[in-house]
Amino acid sequence: MTQAPQPPVRPLRPAQRATRGLLLTLAVISIYAGLTMQTDHLDWGVAVTSFWHNLQLMIAHPHLGQDTWPALWQAFTNTIALALLTTLLGAVIAFFLALATARPFAPRLLALAMRSLMAVIRAIPTILWVLVYATVIGLGNEAAVVGLTFHSVAYLTKAFAEAMETVPPAKLAALRATGCGFWLTVRHALWPEVRASLLSWTFIRFEINFTNAVAVGAAAGTGGIGYNLFMASAFNFDFQEVGLIVYLLLAFAIGLELIAIRMRRHLAH
Amino acid sequence: MPNVYLRRTNRRRWLAFVTACALLVAGQLWLHLDSRQAFTGVWAGLAWLWDNFMPDQAAWHDLPTIAYQLWRTVVIAIAATSTAAIVAVGLGLAGATTTGRVRWLRGGVRLFASVMRNFPFVAWALILLFSFKQNDFTGFLALFLMTIGYLTRAFIETLEEVGGGAIEALEATGARYWPIVIQGVLPAAIGGLLSWVLYMIENNIRDATLVGMLTGTGIGFTFDLYFKSFRYPSAGLVVVALIITTIVIELLATHLRQVLTH
Amino acid sequence: MLTITGLNKTYPNHKRGLKDVTLTFTPGVTAIIGPSGAGKTTLLRSINRLITPESGTVVLGDQEIRTANAKALRRVRRQIGMIFQDYNLIEELAAIDNVLHGCLGAKSWLAGILGRYTAAEQERALRLLSEVGLADFATQRCADLSGGQKQRVGIARALMQEPQVILCDEPIASLDPASTQAVMTLLTDLAKRGLMIIVNLHQVDIARDYADHIVGVNHGQIVFDGPTSALDEVALAKIYHKEAVVTDA
Repeated sequence: MTQAPQPPVRPLRPAQRATRGLLLTLAVISIYAGLTMQTDHLDWGVAVTSFWHNLQLMIAHPHLGQDTWPALWQAFTNTIALALLTTLLGAVIAFFLALATARPFAPRLLALAMRSLMAVIRAIPTILWVLVYATVIGLGNEAAVVGLTFHSVAYLTKAFAEAMETVPPAKLAALRATGCGFWLTVRHALWPEVRASLLSWTFIRFEINFTNAVAVGAAAGTGGIGYNLFMASAFNFDFQEVGLIVYLLLAFAIGLELIAIRMRRHLAH
Repeated sequence: MPNVYLRRTNRRRWLAFVTACALLVAGQLWLHLDSRQAFTGVWAGLAWLWDNFMPDQAAWHDLPTIAYQLWRTVVIAIAATSTAAIVAVGLGLAGATTTGRVRWLRGGVRLFASVMRNFPFVAWALILLFSFKQNDFTGFLALFLMTIGYLTRAFIETLEEVGGGAIEALEATGARYWPIVIQGVLPAAIGGLLSWVLYMIENNIRDATLVGMLTGTGIGFTFDLYFKSFRYPSAGLVVVALIITTIVIELLATHLRQVLTH
Repeated sequence: MLTITGLNKTYPNHKRGLKDVTLTFTPGVTAIIGPSGAGKTTLLRSINRLITPESGTVVLGDQEIRTANAKALRRVRRQIGMIFQDYNLIEELAAIDNVLHGCLGAKSWLAGILGRYTAAEQERALRLLSEVGLADFATQRCADLSGGQKQRVGIARALMQEPQVILCDEPIASLDPASTQAVMTLLTDLAKRGLMIIVNLHQVDIARDYADHIVGVNHGQIVFDGPTSALDEVALAKIYHKEAVVTDA
């Protein structure tokens, strides 16, 4: 051997370059945020102690407080019904809109228009829709339903359309070739292919809508358990009652998660 | 011969359909919903939005304030997500079956992630507001706590995609745990991990409005202020700014995710 | 010299275990053959303790491996390279990075974490890559390489450890005939340099073509142990005999 091989010059792949750039950007922004964070009226010692104290009250000593079980139960089921209704409504509407958005069916221009429209609707926070409708049709379940449905439709349309686009066009063409019309093709070629995926997206949205239903109750005062949570915390400063409500919500959400895991396993077969 | 299979799937189809319809009706009844009011309200709401939320001359004077608050919100959302990601990498390594060495710790991490993921963030926002008062740090903490559970769970799955085989091969060379993790596992998983971070940043910027309303910080608070004082055109400008920011971030994140995972 | 004495390993389902295995390995290519589930992989993995047997000893040089503490185990593992059926590379990384992983165990903890490789190590990694015929692929991502190329990266990684022994767990099971030949030739060349190559194989003809020594395993027991020339039909029947079920109590 006459010459030792030179260590190679390594060109960075685009992915590596993006990784480094992104890591650097995130670090810089985070440090900047840390340096410029406004912490007026904040006494760290007091804040941390009181936070820890309240957390303990919540976790270790939940109690009913000024609410009653029937009232709390009514509010809780109200929230669940809200999440359920808006998800189902959203899923049905989104299915048809997705047909007008997914590439194998929709004309190019229509697809683009739908996509943009849905992106805009999604960009507007749910709470905003609820606030607007609370102003127009009055504070109540109607406003919450309309507001939550808006966002669900936009979210699910995108998800459904993407699911539909994964169906190989040949499968649809095969059915068309036998002389089936549009709806028959949808029913017999598309639906069986996307059913599982649509179902799991709908379920994911149900979890999101449950969280959102709680949130709009708290922020817009449209009712449901979120409102009780808000009153207990921001008005009565009763963190033990907050604890109780948190336990209720947590139980339901973790139950949903377990069902989702089961369902995913079931669908995988 | 009667086709048992067909009959059974038909029955199941009907059952699913009827259940869905029943749930729809039951939900409406339960909420005492006036469907007609809700339906006509949809259009009334959009018309109202168009009439009242159109930014006017006065609203443009608020643009610097709005832009500043939006910038702060985005910065805080990114910082909260990044900080949560650092913690979540540690938790993910402890929780993944391939890299987690202690069984009870693996179970503990998964349980913690599930509880944090499902912990109603409204409750976080409210109890943080009580202790940390109305400032940036409260918003940061709320987003941070909301994100940890999601990222930990996602990171566990991403880290597990780096096969146990490759880790075993490095163990067989006599390498120690941390060199294996830092030189082997993390470089292999970094693309997937960052994709999740981007997704959560996108999500957190969407949620920042709501969190801001509850904690009285950032763009959410700005919107709330305008909305409650009936300065609708300014509120409309906030919405427009939010739409643009969210869509830009979404496009950017989608593009970056594609580059990262190839 | 690698010596195994009285090795036992049992699994809940009574398959793939080892029963009182005693063997001595010498430099050269030793092929371990036997039916699926006979315990070939268990035997191989017991050597560098990816599997820990219940009793017996595995001795390399003067180090007992089965009961070694963590530090001694890491030290002895550095002398034992290993390649796998599924290559087990970090696919996202470049070939050269994977080769360099071979010397992680020999570095200090901090240098390992930081991935600081000396110029000499980098040179050696490159030389090894060109030895296995992949000089032009050093900076390629492993995910983009073919199966045969990946396996050769795996061999280079094992060589990077400067091992005395290389364990090969079904190294050619996922390869096409041309790659199989390339990999097996490479292994026999290494054996000629005095390395101890222990290779699990499915195909008897490959074992015949390339191995100096053959060990036949059936139901966790050694049923044949001799030079390749001694492997006749009788021995094969014994190794692959299905009815020779040693009854489990």
